[in-house]
Amino acid sequence: MLYALMGLGLSLITGVLNIPNFAHGALFAVGAYFLVSLVNFAGNFWLGLLVAPLGVALLGLLIEYAGIRRLYAAGHDYQLLFTFGLALILNELIIVIWGPVGISQLPPAILRGGVDLGFTFYPKYRLFVMLMAGLLVLLTWLFLEKTKYGAIMRAGIENKEMVSLLGIDIHRLFTVAFALGAFLAGIAGALTAPIRGLSPGMGVDMLGIAFVVVALGGLGNLLGAIAAGLLIGVAQAVVAAYWTEASTAVIFAVMALVLLVRPQGMFGIR
Amino acid sequence: MRALVLILISICLLPFIVRPAIASEIWIFAIFGLGLNLLLGYTGLLSFGQSTFFGSAAYVAGWLLKHYAINVFFALGVGVGVGALSALLVGYLCVQRSGLYFIMLTFALNQLFYFIAYQWTTVTGGEDGMPGIPRPEFLGLNFKDPLVYYAFVSSLFLLSLYLMRRIVESPLGKILQAIRENELRAEAVGYNVPRFKLLAFVIGGAFSGLAGVLYAMLFGIVPLEAISFVFSGNVVFATLIGGSGSLYGPIIGSFVFIWLSESMSVMWARWPLLLGVAFVIVVLFFRGGVVEAWNRFWSWRSSKRAA
Repeated sequence: MLYALMGLGLSLITGVLNIPNFAHGALFAVGAYFLVSLVNFAGNFWLGLLVAPLGVALLGLLIEYAGIRRLYAAGHDYQLLFTFGLALILNELIIVIWGPVGISQLPPAILRGGVDLGFTFYPKYRLFVMLMAGLLVLLTWLFLEKTKYGAIMRAGIENKEMVSLLGIDIHRLFTVAFALGAFLAGIAGALTAPIRGLSPGMGVDMLGIAFVVVALGGLGNLLGAIAAGLLIGVAQAVVAAYWTEASTAVIFAVMALVLLVRPQGMFGIR
Repeated sequence: MRALVLILISICLLPFIVRPAIASEIWIFAIFGLGLNLLLGYTGLLSFGQSTFFGSAAYVAGWLLKHYAINVFFALGVGVGVGALSALLVGYLCVQRSGLYFIMLTFALNQLFYFIAYQWTTVTGGEDGMPGIPRPEFLGLNFKDPLVYYAFVSSLFLLSLYLMRRIVESPLGKILQAIRENELRAEAVGYNVPRFKLLAFVIGGAFSGLAGVLYAMLFGIVPLEAISFVFSGNVVFATLIGGSGSLYGPIIGSFVFIWLSESMSVMWARWPLLLGVAFVIVVLFFRGGVVEAWNRFWSWRSSKRAA
């Protein structure tokens, strides 16, 4: 479900803005580190979970406004170089500020321990993350499908010129989409922190996964992102049980296999 | 012709200015850039996974050099073959999609190879890299001497440049450029566009493979970074900063990039941060590469003088 969340955020940014966002993984990592700092500073996990993604969204706003906005006319190559540069900067800043060694973060007291589900014993926090991620995906879906601004955003994915001709401020739409995508990445990062701990490399690992989700699910395709997120999540879990070392590589192998059979992705968009 | 003279002069002068190892690295990186430029500059395909071919070739050839003591030329042949083969596999999946999907796929498959190298520690050494790659003597040439190796690398670079020039000026090169300019039209004229894109991929992969083996022999180690996306990004940066439109762009870019990274890496352990800043500055202010920045600088100076 977390993969779906990451893929969804990236899918929004990539779909609406039509840029390859290589900084998406870094935003994810920043979200996690923000959470840790906020928890240490304010001593409240929930506050951290709320504020950290907002901070990332703000960062996204800044990035779009100060940098990416000037690059829409440039080719994908320069956009890629820019976001790749940003990813390097953010990644190194994380090392400078929080150190190169991994940090662990405990879940809040109320979510420690596990629940007996009858057939298996499951950690409470993981259950909470699943619910939260599901809820967020649902909320994003409601926003995109049921609100007017969501409809504009979907229209922006389909045809930017038409949207802009209809008198809608396309630049503001881009900024909002980027901030929203950054928010989703940030909250995914914050939610992940207590499960896997934090390390500066976490962003890059997640970036690859998010790309896989988008490549399989299709740009701006919500159902696709969820289905692809679930597919690789399950594949990873199954393989991890038998052959731990291959659990990351399998994500990309699954993608290669799916594309071999269906080059157009799972839902055949473009 | 003038460009060729310039290149020959710089090949001769370079080892006197910087250490031979860095001088060799510059030409190796230039070969790597030539391969990417066939895709990026001539076919209009932005591949963000070039280190897949570079790294795979370095690992396979390095392994054979280390354990089977193969000779240098055989190692180079293996590298070119592995580079081309891995590019064939990756390219086959990637050329079926275009635009942003294409970029993301090259990256994702790069990650696949990266994680295989990362986890397969018995062969690749994982995070520690694969050390102990020899530079065996061949026909009386002692490649352990840095200058001899430098001469070897730069002659291979010249050979690569010559081959690449032949390729881009051949009918194949013209077809690739037609695809870059207008894919639909190239298709309509009757060319099998995916097939040609794949061919460009394989050729680019072969060049990357050659560069990868030379790199492994230069430093005696294949670091894990050699197959990571950072390396893929670096070569894109080098090619763009030199100017992807011309044959010589990647060469200038390779100079600038190796010089930048060498001088920054001694300044600060966190030098990738500075590199990232350099990327951002280049994109925001110097799009079009060194050549354009140079022109802009001169017009700025002459306008000052007029005032």
